[in-house]
Amino acid sequence: MRQVHIPDGFLDLSICAVAYLAALIFWVFAFRRARQVLSERQIPLMGTLTAMFFAAQMMNYPIIGGTTAHLLGGPILAITLGPYAGLISMTIILLIQALFFGDGAITTFGANVWNMGIIGVFIPYIICLLVMKMVKDKNGMLIGAFIGALIGDLLAAVFAGLELGLSTLTFPYSISIAVTAMAIHHFFIGIGEGIITVIIISVLLKTRPDLLQLPKVAPKWMGELPIVSAKPGGP
Amino acid sequence: MGENKRIFMLGIIVSIIFVIAGCMWLSYSAETLDEIAKHFGASESSVWTPPLPDYEIPGLEGNLAVNTVVGIVFTLLTLAVALVVGKVLKAKT
Repeated sequence: MRQVHIPDGFLDLSICAVAYLAALIFWVFAFRRARQVLSERQIPLMGTLTAMFFAAQMMNYPIIGGTTAHLLGGPILAITLGPYAGLISMTIILLIQALFFGDGAITTFGANVWNMGIIGVFIPYIICLLVMKMVKDKNGMLIGAFIGALIGDLLAAVFAGLELGLSTLTFPYSISIAVTAMAIHHFFIGIGEGIITVIIISVLLKTRPDLLQLPKVAPKWMGELPIVSAKPGGP
Repeated sequence: MGENKRIFMLGIIVSIIFVIAGCMWLSYSAETLDEIAKHFGASESSVWTPPLPDYEIPGLEGNLAVNTVVGIVFTLLTLAVALVVGKVLKAKT
């Protein structure tokens, strides 16, 4: 069921070690920041969304070239929980998949967290914030969610391709071949992720805009961001 | 508390629908990385043997009911783990 879940044996151990180190830095940072920004009432939401995206990753839909894809969920986790708790949620999903199902693996766990939990969560978050700075109504969040999901998925695949391409001992193909092959497929997967993300965010905007935390955990350097609400009389 | 219960119930129902849909209609998997690896001749060499490879119980592969139960049980396990981590995060605040 792997989309960009890299299994054991595909990456050189040196690449695995670097990816673990990079992921470790983000884990430490995410745990510290999540403690500060995660509210008590968000904990049930964090649990529910983590479980939902674990389940959602079991559903495969057909894309081009006879291949299939599934929802990753990083953009929605980032927009609802913020990127710090989003990374922690994605780490839990990837850990359970690797330990119990062999979807992903132990040696490549750091790389998978880097691709899907860091790139796949933080990139959509940053892009969505930037678009919201430019388009200051609810369309800003929807446009940002789509572009963020598309580029987030694409970059996650590009990083997976880079890791594979740099693993000359285990994956004897150049970076350009690996990156190109991953990027072409994941452009279409990213469009699917973007559409599904926009649908879910639209529903949340109409029913529970208070759950969309993204503007509330934005870094100070982003300046003031609109708190989006589609509810009549909302903020 | 009522709000939390609603979020839980909705989340669990949607998750179970995802699991059932995933097991019944959307289980066919030909993922990009697998296909690319196959094309390039790269092969997996696991250092860890998972107890439920490819989301199935060994010896009961292809059993829809068993696969659905496995999916639901592990979805609930994921929920529990995420809640515990969330609680631990807030407990240290």
